Amino acid sequence: MGDIHIGLTGYPKPWLLFWIAAIIAIGYMVMTFYRKWQSWSQSAPEMPAARNGNLHTVKIWFAEVICQRQLFGLSPFRWFVHALIFWGFTGLLFLSFVAVILKPLKYLGIDGGWASFFFFGNGHAVIKIWGDSFGLALLLGLLAAALRRLLIRPAQLVNNQIDIILVVFLLWLTISGFSLEGLHLALAPPALVRYSFVGRLFVPPGTFTKAQLQPWLTAMWTLHALSGVSLMAYLPHSKLMHSLLAPLVIAMNAEEEQDRKDIYWPDIKKHRATGSPRS
Amino acid sequence: MARHKKTQGDRIAEVLTRRQRIELEACARCGECQVWCPVYAQDKRECVTARGKLASLRGILSGPPLQAEEQKELLEGLYECSCCGQCHVVCPVRINTPELWEQARLSLSMAGIPQPESQIKQLSTIKDFNNCYGKPQQERGLWAQRAWEAGFLKAPLPLWKEHRTPVLYFAGCAASFDPDMQSVAVQSARLMQEAGVEFSILGNDEPCCISKLRRMGDADFTREAQKRIDMFNEQEITTIVVSCAGCYKGFHSDYGRLWPGAKRVLHLTEFLDQLITEGRLRPEREVPLTVTYHDPCHLGRHSGIYGPPRRILKAVPGLTLAEMPRHGAFSACCGMGGGLKTVNPEIQHKMGASRISEAESTGAQAIVTPCQTCCLGLLHGLEKGASAMKVCHLNEILIRSVCPEVSAAAIKAAFERFQMT
Repeated sequence: MGDIHIGLTGYPKPWLLFWIAAIIAIGYMVMTFYRKWQSWSQSAPEMPAARNGNLHTVKIWFAEVICQRQLFGLSPFRWFVHALIFWGFTGLLFLSFVAVILKPLKYLGIDGGWASFFFFGNGHAVIKIWGDSFGLALLLGLLAAALRRLLIRPAQLVNNQIDIILVVFLLWLTISGFSLEGLHLALAPPALVRYSFVGRLFVPPGTFTKAQLQPWLTAMWTLHALSGVSLMAYLPHSKLMHSLLAPLVIAMNAEEEQDRKDIYWPDIKKHRATGSPRS
Repeated sequence: MARHKKTQGDRIAEVLTRRQRIELEACARCGECQVWCPVYAQDKRECVTARGKLASLRGILSGPPLQAEEQKELLEGLYECSCCGQCHVVCPVRINTPELWEQARLSLSMAGIPQPESQIKQLSTIKDFNNCYGKPQQERGLWAQRAWEAGFLKAPLPLWKEHRTPVLYFAGCAASFDPDMQSVAVQSARLMQEAGVEFSILGNDEPCCISKLRRMGDADFTREAQKRIDMFNEQEITTIVVSCAGCYKGFHSDYGRLWPGAKRVLHLTEFLDQLITEGRLRPEREVPLTVTYHDPCHLGRHSGIYGPPRRILKAVPGLTLAEMPRHGAFSACCGMGGGLKTVNPEIQHKMGASRISEAESTGAQAIVTPCQTCCLGLLHGLEKGASAMKVCHLNEILIRSVCPEVSAAAIKAAFERFQMT
């Protein structure tokens, strides 16, 4: 595939507003984490516990955090939903991070050609395919989570503000991302559209000129970008804290309790045979 | 600059460990703890679940002092918990809940938030009498003397201070003082004699393990534990066999950080299993019974001992073991741990009854456990559920196969005669 110029870079994006908002949000997030750290530091240091081999700890951590084995043991459905959200969110975060980093590097002329490769060259298809895949995973995961939370309503779930806000927030981010992509694709050549296998479902019906879509593109980009930035500010107060702290807690436990095969390497068949008290 | 005045939350935070502070915020609120919580199962109070307790603790640490109602909910959740550790096993984040609840109880009491009155009384009794029964220490070793006089032992039990042996048998408070449980001490001693083990006891010098102080968050635990560790070290005790799951957890885990020698502590089931494997103890008589096994929380989830007691039961000829749906790491608690029984006996009785009804569903004639405290808890459940099922200590099953004349009933009857005279 030759270089594709998508012809969309021309629409106005309020980068200044974005960077101001991003700096404020990141600053707030860092400050909140710092205050939390300071508060945790008031507490007693952990008493030395049994320390065992690092390799075993890493293996447990991999099984528990990356593969989320415990959740699989409890419910394959919940594991699947959580994995969709976890991997979808992580993948999109990574791609957004790459995009946000490459832009200024390209502006400074130190991107080593990567910005051109990913934004205008062969790399664009890779970004589109992976972006849509991660986005789809996140969207399906969130819809399944919302379905479980609001319609299936397992007895143990509580639908407090903190739980609902996060699901709605992430759903909004995903849908606004796909809508923005749909607007992009409305002006893109067919050769590019085929890689966006989900985004093309969000293309508004009809034929539009660039001038007609520009204000919508700017508005949607701004909304999506500022929503992403707001999530960073909200993160320390949200349920997403578990995504940062759970791997840490699991690592600490794994180091101490790795010999506890009943806890760390439960026989999943036995686990299922035992069954949940509510099943 | 004005000095920051310490809030109630600050004082609590100082006692929790950093890891525990992180654990408070790592909760994913998935509610798996609620699904499995044996206390929640009784009356559906969110405050007793791990998620509820974590939320209350986060509230007291980060916000202004709690309102009376919020404080009530926090205390109810924290103290009406048997610290069984089921939430730790099923938590996808692996929050070490039993440690956290015990440390939180300690931090609350150190911050001046009073513990439930009933627990304060229980703790005073333990500290004043060196046992939770309020009995004089001179009566602690009576079981051994009476067991010898009644002919249940092959030889009188030597005292450690007079005759140092490779093994020390540590009976614990329930087996020393509780008339319903003294048979456990006698049978443990007899089984070891049958296997030719050279052992002695501390008799009236045996202290309470005081693990209940840790369970209920008493600030004196570390000092009292250190006294006992010093005593064990001074007396050069090398291997301790304990028949109480609570004492085992105490010596093995609670003392662990203070006492590297805690590795020399064995639970009776580990020891008996070893003796059977080595062929020193031979269960030869048939015991034609179908039994189900109840894993004590302190032995199973807290200490990882699941296999030895089951191997002992399987070694008994004629015995059939039928597992309950919840067993091993998922065993449902009988409610006797963590000071719950002291604070809310009614809940414990209901938990005991639930466990008995689960045991009945297996078709077993008896529920067997190697823990005196669980035996007592299950007996309460038996009364509550008006069940005909039998509750037996594991020793009772093994003794029927080794020397049936030393049955719990015979021991109790003989000891009652001593009481009358």
